[in-house]
Order: sequence, then C-alpha cells, then structure tokens
Amino acid sequence: MNSPSATATQSAMGSLHSPIDGTATIELEVNGVGVTRRVNARLSLADFLRERLDLTGTHLGCEHGVCGACTVVLNDEAVRSCLILAVQADGSRITTIEGLAETDHDGQIISIHPIQRAMQEAHGFQCAFCAPGFLMTALCFLERNPAPTRAQIREEISGNLCRCTGYQSIIAGVETAVEIMAADRREGAQDA
Amino acid sequence: MREAVAGRYIGQRVRRVEDQRLLTGRGSFVADVEPEGTVHAAFVRSPFANANIVSIDHSVASRAKGVVAIYTGAEICLLTNPFIPFSNLPGQFTPPFWALAVDRVRFVGDPVAVVLAYSRALAEDAAELVEIEYQELTPVVSIDDALRTDSEPIWPAAGSNILYEAADQFGEVDEAFRKADRVFTETFTSHRLSNQPLETRGCVAEVDPESDEVVFHAATQAGHALRWTLAAVTARQSAVKSIRALAGNRGRLKAFARGAKAALAGTGDQLKKADSSGTIHQIRKDPRTLLYLGRSFLGTLSAERFPRVVAKDIGGGFGSKGPVSREDAVILAVAMELNRSVKWIEDRVENLTDGGQARDERLTISFAVQDDGTILGMKANLVMNQGAYPGVPFNCGLFSRIMKVMLPGTYRIDAFRLDTTVVASNKGRYIPYRGPWANETWARERMLDVVARELGMSATQLRLKNMYHPSELPAKMITGPTLDPTMTAATTLQRAIELAEPAAFAAKQEDARSRGRLLGIGFATYHEAAPGPPDYTDAVTPGVGALLAEKSEISLEADGTVTIRTQQMPHGQSHETTYAQVAADQLGVPMEQVRLVWGDTKNTPFGIMGTGGSRGGPIGGGAVQFSSRALRTKILDQAADLLEANVNDLEIVDGNIHVRGVPAKGKSFAEVAAAAASAGGGIGDEPAITAEFTYNGPPQGGWACATHVCWVEIDPDTGFVTIPRYLVVEDCGEMINPAIVEGQVRGGVAQGIGAVLYEKTNYDEFGNLQSSTYMDYLMPTAMEIPEIELHHLETPSEVEANYRGVGEGGAIGAPPALTNAIENALAHLGVRITEQHLPPHRILELTGVIKPNVASR
Amino acid sequence: MPAFAYHRPASLDEALDLLSRFGEDAKILAGGQSLLPLMALRLSHPANLVDISRVPGLNEIVEDVEGGLAIGATVTHTRAEEAEAVHRLTPLVAAALPLVGHRAIRNRGTVVGSLAHADPAAELPAVALALGARFIAVKSGGQRRVAAADFFSGFLTTDLAPDELLLAVGFPPQKPRTGVSVKEISRRSGDFAIVGLAATVSLDEAGLIASSALSFFGAASTAVRVTEAEEALAGQSPGPEAFEEAARIVSQSLDPPEDANGTTAYRKHVAGVLTRNALADAIDQIGFAA
Ligand SMILES: Cc1cc2nc3c(=O)[nH]c(=O)nc-3n(C[C@H](O)[C@H](O)[C@H](O)COP(=O)(O)OP(=O)(O)OC[C@H]3O[C@@H](n4cnc5c(N)ncnc54)[C@H](O)[C@@H]3O)c2cc1C
Ligand code: FES
Ligand code: FES
Repeated sequence: MNSPSATATQSAMGSLHSPIDGTATIELEVNGVGVTRRVNARLSLADFLRERLDLTGTHLGCEHGVCGACTVVLNDEAVRSCLILAVQADGSRITTIEGLAETDHDGQIISIHPIQRAMQEAHGFQCAFCAPGFLMTALCFLERNPAPTRAQIREEISGNLCRCTGYQSIIAGVETAVEIMAADRREGAQDA
Repeated sequence: MREAVAGRYIGQRVRRVEDQRLLTGRGSFVADVEPEGTVHAAFVRSPFANANIVSIDHSVASRAKGVVAIYTGAEICLLTNPFIPFSNLPGQFTPPFWALAVDRVRFVGDPVAVVLAYSRALAEDAAELVEIEYQELTPVVSIDDALRTDSEPIWPAAGSNILYEAADQFGEVDEAFRKADRVFTETFTSHRLSNQPLETRGCVAEVDPESDEVVFHAATQAGHALRWTLAAVTARQSAVKSIRALAGNRGRLKAFARGAKAALAGTGDQLKKADSSGTIHQIRKDPRTLLYLGRSFLGTLSAERFPRVVAKDIGGGFGSKGPVSREDAVILAVAMELNRSVKWIEDRVENLTDGGQARDERLTISFAVQDDGTILGMKANLVMNQGAYPGVPFNCGLFSRIMKVMLPGTYRIDAFRLDTTVVASNKGRYIPYRGPWANETWARERMLDVVARELGMSATQLRLKNMYHPSELPAKMITGPTLDPTMTAATTLQRAIELAEPAAFAAKQEDARSRGRLLGIGFATYHEAAPGPPDYTDAVTPGVGALLAEKSEISLEADGTVTIRTQQMPHGQSHETTYAQVAADQLGVPMEQVRLVWGDTKNTPFGIMGTGGSRGGPIGGGAVQFSSRALRTKILDQAADLLEANVNDLEIVDGNIHVRGVPAKGKSFAEVAAAAASAGGGIGDEPAITAEFTYNGPPQGGWACATHVCWVEIDPDTGFVTIPRYLVVEDCGEMINPAIVEGQVRGGVAQGIGAVLYEKTNYDEFGNLQSSTYMDYLMPTAMEIPEIELHHLETPSEVEANYRGVGEGGAIGAPPALTNAIENALAHLGVRITEQHLPPHRILELTGVIKPNVASR
Repeated sequence: MPAFAYHRPASLDEALDLLSRFGEDAKILAGGQSLLPLMALRLSHPANLVDISRVPGLNEIVEDVEGGLAIGATVTHTRAEEAEAVHRLTPLVAAALPLVGHRAIRNRGTVVGSLAHADPAAELPAVALALGARFIAVKSGGQRRVAAADFFSGFLTTDLAPDELLLAVGFPPQKPRTGVSVKEISRRSGDFAIVGLAATVSLDEAGLIASSALSFFGAASTAVRVTEAEEALAGQSPGPEAFEEAARIVSQSLDPPEDANGTTAYRKHVAGVLTRNALADAIDQIGFAA
C-alpha cells in the first residue's frame, strides 16, 4: 500500500492532484455499475479495467494506440483505453465488451447483443483477440449511422487491426448486425 | 443452434462454439492469468546489433522501488542449460545458446537481464536503471554481409557466418540445360516480415511451493514441445546429482520409458531412416554440445520439478507461437529459483523486435526451356538469413528442405538442382511464418511469368503446358513425393482462367494503357503437402515424419456427453467447432454433446507439432474421425447388450441408439454410459467408455491446391497499388465447415497482400530495427484488403477423411499473384519485379518516374 | 509508462499556476493521443502532467464578428468535425479533420493539441499555416498572440514556452471566391501522411488567381509553405498550365526527409502531383460556389 502522503489531494475547486507515482481516487460507472477506486496516476484505463475490475475482455494489442484491440466506449464514444489514464476517466461512463450482453445479477448472460449475434452468424472472427475492439467500435458507429454503406463500414472499422480474417467476415458481420438491428427496431415500432 | 441437415454437420456453416465466450469477453488468454502473489518481469534488451558486454551494474536498479530480483546472463547460466539443437541436418551447425545473452549481444533486442518487480511498470522503471557497458562490434546485417569472407563470425564456433550448406541434384540437370533452346535466370529477394499475431507472446509460471509441478501458462501453438524443451533447458544440475536422484527414483525412470515408448509408437521404422551425421558434425564443431546434451537429458530425467504447460485461448500465432522462446525459459527458471509465480506479457515493441521474424531470403532461379515453352530443367540457389539465434525446435535448415522438395511445384520438371546456404546475421530470430517455405512458390511462380513473357506466351498457357494434369496422375515429383489424383492444381488453374477471362482482360488493359491507366493481372498456382503423401516427409528429411503422428483420445462421459482430447492448440482455427462436427457425425449425436479438451499437457495426448503445418484438418480431423468411430463401435457393443439386440441392427439417430426402425425403444448415450460404468465398476465421474486413434495421414496422402488471381490498378503518379478484384480457386477436399475454410484462406491472402505492399521488418545497415512499433510495421487495415472471391472444388478422393489443409495456402498464393499482377501492369514499361516488397516509392523507381535510392536491406 | 505526478486543475488560473511552478518539468495533457503513446513507449518522461480537460471555457468553438472562428484547447477533432460552423467558416479545417487518424483517435485527440504537438506529418499544422491562423498563448500574468508563420519552430517544437498554455487557435475569415483542398497520400488509410498539402486559392473578380497558399506536411521538419510556387500562381489564369508550373516549383524547392515510407525523390515528386490535384480541386469548388 502507498503511504498516505502519496495519495491524491482533492481541492474544494474540484481539482485533483496526485504526487509522483502516487494515487488518486476516481469514481466512474462501468457497465452500469458505479465503482470507486484508488488508482495509480500512471495506470491506463485498460489496465484499470483488466487488473482492478477484472474485466479482462478488453485486450491490449499494442499499448500505443494503433491496433484498436483495447477500444471501449466512454460516454458514448469509442476510445482507446490504452491511451487514456484511469484518472482521466474519473466521472465518466464506460462500457466494455462484458457490458454488451444482457446479464442477470450473477453475470450470467440472458441475451447477447445483436452485434454479437451477427458476428457469430457471419463467422466474423477467428482467434477473436481483436473482437472486443471491433464490437465496441461497431456499437458506437451503428449508433451514429444505423444504415451504413459497405464503404462506410470499411472506413469506420479501419482503425482496428485484425491479423486473422482479412476483414471480409467482420464487414459481413457488421452488415448482418445492421439487418438484425433494423428488424428489431421495426418489431419495436410495431409493438409500440 | 442445430444447423445440420439430416444428421450431418460436416459441410455445414455451423456457427462457432468458441464465439459464445470469445464474443462476450469471457475468453481466457494468458494475460488474463494472475495467480496470487505474482511478480512481473521486464527484460533489459540490447540497443546494439553486435557488441561485447563489458560490464553490467544493476546495483541501483536492484534498490529501485518494488524490485524483487534481477538476473543477468551470467546468473541465468547457473540456473539453466543452453538451448541445443533439436535436430541437425548433415552439414549443419546450430550454435547452442543461453536464454539470456552472456558476454555478447547479437541483435537489437537481445535480452541481457530480467527484472522482477511487484508490477510490470515498476519492473520497467528498474530496467531503465540497469547500467550496461558495451563494446560495439561490426554488425553483420544482410545476406551479402554474412557471405563476405572477412565477416567476423557471430558464432565463433561456426568458423564463419555460414551455418548450413547443401547441394541437391535430381535428374540430369547439366544435360537439360545443354539441350534447352533457352535458359532464363533471375534473382528474387524477399524482405523480412513478422508474423504479428494480435496477441503477443507471454507466459505465467505459476509456482505452488508445495508442489513438484510448475504450471506454465503460455500462449503457445505447441504445448508439449514447449513443455519438454523447457524441462530440458531449466533442468540445470550436475550430472552426478542427476544420476543420484535417478537412482533414488526408479518410478520416474519407468514413467519416462513408458512415455517415450508411447510417443514413438509405430515410428521406429521411420526413425531408423534418420541421418545422424548432422549431430556428429555439430559435436565436432562445438564439443560442448555433448556436455550440454548429457546434462539436459539427465537433468530432465531427474528434475525435482517439472513444468506442466497450460494454454486456453490464444490470440493467433501464424507460426510464431510454435517455437520456444528464450524468455519462456528465463521466466520458468527464475520462478523456480524464487519459488514464486512470475508473469511476463510481451509488449508490442518486444514482439516486433524479438517475437520472431521470417522470410528474408534470396532465390536465384534458372529455367531451361524449349522455344515452345516446355520446361526441361530448373536450377535454384537459395540463401536464407537466419538472424542471430536459431529457432527452436525448427530452424532454417528444415525449412530449406521443404523448399527443396516443393520448388519444382506442380510442373513436370525432370531435372532439378538446388544449392542452399543458411547464414547467421545480427537480426532477430528467423521462425516459421504461415507457409515457411512460401518463397519457393513466390520465386517459381514469379519466374514462370518472366519466362512466359520472354517466350511471348501467356503466363497461363506456359503453366498449363507444363503442369501435371489429372489424367497424368499418379506421378512422382522429381524431388520424391508422389502426386496422387488429389493434386488438382491444373483443375484449379483451368477454373480460374474460366472465371478470370485473362484474354478479355488483355484487351481492357490495352485500352486502359492508351488512356494512361495501369491495369494488371497475375496468376499463381501451388500445391501444398497438407497432409502430403508419406514419401513427402522422407523427401524433406528422412525420419522427420516420425514426429508427426497425432493421437486423438475420446471418451463417453458418465453423463452421456462426449469428450475429445487433442494435442492440437487451436488459436483461431475453430477446432472446438470443427472437431465437434466431425465427431458428432460419426457418433450420431448433436454437436452440443461433444466437448473438446486441449491445451493442458496434463490431460491431452502427446504431440510435438501442436497446431501448425496446415495439419489440423487432415491429421487432427482424421484422428478425431477415426477415434470417434472406434468409440461408436464400443458404444454400440454396450448398447447391444442393453437392448439385447444384434449390433449390426443398431443405428444412432440424434443421440438415440436403437434397433433400426424402432426409435421408441432406444437408449440414450447417458443410459449406455451408466451401464458401461456399472459394468466397469466405475464411480460415476470417470469416463464410461474410452477410445483412441493415432493417425499420421492417409496412406495415399493428399494435396491442397489452389490458383490465385489478382487484378491491380497502379496509379502512375503516386505508385499506389489497388486491388479491384482478387479470386481464389482452391481445393482442400471435403470442407468440414466452409465458413471456417473461407476465413483461413482470406486471412492468409490478407497477410500475403500485407507482405508485398505494406509490411517490412526494416533493419538499417547497422542492424537497428526501424519498425519496432505499429506506427512503422504496417499491417493492412480493412481499407487495404479487397473482397476476396472464393471458389471451392472439393475434389472427392478415395481417402476417407478427405480433409486437406487450408491454414497456410492463402499466404503462399498471394505474394506471387500480386507481384505477377504488378509486373503485368508495368510490363510495357520494361519493368521486371524481382523483389517482394513494393511500397509506392519503389513502384515509381521501377517505372522510372523517380531515381532509385540505395535500397535498405 | 514512467511515473509522474498528475494534476487536474479546475480553473485556468490553477492550470497556469501549475505550469509556472513546474516549468520544464510539466507537460500539458489534452487528449493524450500523442503524449501518452510516447510515454507508453518510454520515449517521454514528464515529471508532471497537467490535465486541462476539466478547465472550464476551453471546450468551445466561437465565431467572431468578422466571420473568423476560434477553436478552444479541449475541443476534440470529432467535435470540430461535426460542428456546422467549422464547415461553414473554415472548410479547409473541415476537409482536413477526417484525415486525422481514425475515429477513436479523433474522439479524444484535440485540434489544439495537434497544433501544440507540431508533428511535421500532421494535417492541422499545415492547415493552420495555410490559413494564417493565430495562436493564443497564455501564462500566469500574460497572454500573447502568435502568427502561424512564427509558431512552428522545428521538429515537434513550437514557439510556446514551457509555462505557456495554448488557449485557442483562431482562423481568419475566408476570402471571397476561395476554394480549398487537402490532399495527402499515406501508406494506409488513417496513417500520418507520407506527404500532403493543404491548399487554398482565391480568385480576383476577373477570375485570375489573386492569392494562394500551398502548405505541405510530411515534407520537412515542420509544416512548410512553398512561397515561390504561390508567387508564381499569382495573377495567372487558373488552369493546367499554371498548376503544372506550380507543381514543378514545388517538386524542385522541397527537400523532404527520407524514411521507409518514401524517399526524398518520391516525396518531392508526389508533392508536385498533389499540388496539381489540389489546385484543380480547389478551383472546381469556386466554380460550384459561383
Ligand atoms: C494511432 C494514431 C494515429 C494518429 N494519426 C494521426 C494523423 O493521421 N494525423 C494527425 O494529425 N494526428 C494523428 N494522430 C495524433 C492525434 O491527432 C492527436 O490527437 C494530436 O496529435 C494531439 O492531440 P491531443 O489532444 O491528443 O494532445 P496530447 O497528446 O494531449 O498532447 C500532445 C502535445 O501537445 C501538448 N499540448 C496539448 N495541448 C496543449 C495546449 N493547449 N497548450 C500547450 N501544449 C499543449 C502536450 O503537452 C503534448 O506535448 C494519431 C494518433 C494516434 C495514436
Ligand atoms: S492496445 Fe490500445 S490501440 Fe492497441
Ligand atoms: S480474429 Fe484474430 S486478430 Fe482478429
């Protein structure tokens, strides 16, 4: 444990300071659950999720922002969790791959997200180490653009590297997701 | 989830079993493993390509925050044995080497020390404080550097930087070249590449101080090979101590004898063919080899602690996780020494530096041809740049032998000569990469286009004229292997021609040229020994086939489910799905009832290959098929007793075993299991019925074949190459799951495109790596890879498990198809493509738009 | 990542105080998309990070009365890309933004951070140079304006002092009859450019070229304008001949560095090609606008 002198001070103005190699306390919402943790200033959001919250579904492929494997959703935007400090994420809302499916209190899956279903149907991935990043990227992208063209899909997923597939199956998966989600919306509209 | 038609899963695009966990973030990769009390490792690595280590001072680093221990090469020498060659070819020298550099560093990134601390960040902090004084030596970087007679040997015991030389001749080569109307020669060079799975290497040595077993969690393609290699390298004790320990532990000796017997079952004849002169040569060059061999062997037999390798989900490998890493040995050794768990997850910079690199070869090819295009003979000269440290267990030597066998390709070539040289250099370790022999296909298929152009023939015409056609089979390649009727290369080419219509394209190309646009088309055809006929492995190196047999164990569990145990190490190939498909079809049960167990050396059958060599379908799948059948027989026997019926009258439909036509009076697998368990006096949680099968491919063998066709458009102003269309006609026999086959092929093609247009492991003339991050090592993204059209032939054969490999072919076919297309697009400008890496600036140099610059190596 | 002390000031004054206190020992952390990779690779070891993301008032895009636009220090690429005012008032900025990295990078990275980082291969410094942007730098007890031409002083270095914070970048109003274009080539989509240019062309009432800016990235140790080519264009009738001549001058006068992505000769050549294309593209837009 770190000595008290090495922990953060939080001033009345809402500023936050941690001494060198010290810690600060952060509060954020991860997959719908509020968490408060004392973290080292240099801890990345990715390491925070993996090591402190045991959410190991978020993967690290390069730790310098290029591969996209670590992509998570921060306040509705896809971001590289390796290029964000946990302290920077203080106060934010995070969704990781673990939060995509609907689960019960014990974390058992009740139903998977249409994007997950689509990727399974389309045989989107192989080793799937890259999958969490693609899924989180696609989630945000389809939110902004629910009816993309294939060219747009290509462009939007091009910030994520996959070494196994050659991408065609992932693109097909996103297209399948578009169909499933559109059908779900139609059903939803009819129900309403 | 049931998608099979009429009880048949094979051939269906069944959804992947793996996805249920992998798409929900519930997979378990090595980086996710962290036992209580784990310390973290960071390596201190050499900044120089070639240097003596003058001194290492880690006194400051040792006192840094959170540091548990620091080990240097000198200390590792006391804890381990060096890596010694696993096999040597006649005339080959493979330098023994230590897990950490001792006295000398041999490439940028060579691990010099390891720091253990309470977190990876603290270990890295301290690693920056280790002070090392180096005395720089002249680096040997390129093949030419290494071949220079005055280049200082990187491995003094070798006497030079040439580690292996061989000359192989088949047929009357001089005669063929004398008789020929024309002889064409060209030299092709390929750059260094890196496999780059998205998950880096990594391991966790989990030490339970009470146990004599260390659980070694690793991202590995070959768990058993890793286990035994690590056991040998970390079993460091004096021979005297070993012998004493052994005398006191006869049980251990007996267990080893049993294990060895099982591992070599049925392979004795094959092993007898092996040539031991390589080993003798090795020992003569470096007599210490004998000492190390003895110490490792006795140490392994008597070690107090033994590693058990465990791998769960693996984030790709492409060959890079088959070889045993020096870091693995360091982590295991220090974990045992400290008696606590140690974790090392490689970062990307390390992976690009020391995670393994490949290709880096030069091939000169000469064809002796008649004016009508008939090939009379072929000569080749191959030089491979092995880098500093030889791969373990397989190094360039073995891959050169595969090239030797495959170079003549699918063509009638009756005279062939190959001269081979393997050199050492101050670069990273050469390891197998998806089709480790692929450059034979690249250079040959490239050269065929050159010959066709010189003769004024079309590239496809020349190929078809010389290729073995189905009606001529069986035949024998001049290098040895039998080509049975599954060698359908010519059929794939013919089909590709129909689909691609090269003649129509030529007109379009002409027209485009007149308007300043550069269009091109390229073909490439290959066959791949997946599984290959039995005489294939003998042609590669006699005896090597002995290592390749694969056992599948299968059991009916007490609850009626079926468990398959395999030595395969799936890392993206979807074995859980395909093996369940194969077994379910054999057993007549729903797939969901079948579970695959892999990755733990404790409960999987031994096999040295793990997953590699496009063997998962042909060999692994075959083994599952036949073991399932054996299990089915036993289940039916048991059911016949239960049903008081004749076995021959029974059938299994959807997991219900019953007399044909009387499904209502059937027994479930669970009921049969219960009966078998009580008959066998089981207590309920052990398998009720077990069966196994060891398989080394069908007697007839079998080849996977394909033709790739690539279209390009080149921007004459910028040199950018785009691929408007890409087509593959492939024949891998019966497809267990077409969606999985297609994924394998497309992924391979993407890597081949990456090699030509984007990726290069780039060393400067001083051996500094210029591509150690993903900002510099450019893997293609979704924007760079076109849609890849696939056409399957699925040629039937009398082979029962007619599954042929598809893991590597995509990466083999793409570089020649693409480079052929590029030359085709630029042919009217007099361009000849002799290098594999063609970034935009190189294209403009070739077209004469800009002046060439000194090529980087 | 090396250790550092983390500071998240809640006001501008507090931020400036921290900067003046730590001087050389502090780095401003904006989106972190350039700084954190460098730290992750242990190529940068700042002792203090001053995270300005929560400083009020910096996350703003402001139109001025003359039709210019100011972008505040914490405005991300994505926010700017989606802002209507950016498209309307600074079409060159709008054209450049989609070329900056990939979506996830743009969601965090800031426009001002990119300018402060001054990567010679980055799009925005060249855009700022082309548009004659003004930089507003503040420190404890002082504020100053720096013209783009004086801002980029070398490879990854700017005119900013260690205790200064770049508050905002201001773009002047676009002249009438102006067309703009950003052209670049990069090895892969989303990569930093091998070479690229941000161009503007303004016509006079007679339809002749009144002024132009040809501002290159990936062509030197900073973003650079090729003034000889701009001068040669002045007074010319816009068309292939003039563009060709400008391209020739560009290729001749640039002396770009060499790396694995392109030789010097290649970058020179392509800079010319891009000049031609960008000029034609920019002129096309004026046609449409007219
Ligand atoms: C994979 C990848 C690809 C990329 N591709 C591109 C690309 O194609 N083109 C491109 O232009 N960029 C690219 N970038 C960089 C990206 O645009 C960054 O967002 C941008 O360069 C920096 O912005 P930032 O807010 O992240 O700055 P930070 O990383 O937070 O800071 C960068 C530097 O600027 C200083 N700084 C930041 N804000 C201020 C301020 N207000 N006052 C004074 N100093 C300040 C910091 O101290 C630091 O030195 C890429 C980045 C990645 C990781
Ligand atoms: S791990 Fe974050 S982008 Fe690669
Ligand atoms: S599926 Fe393996 S990296 Fe994408």
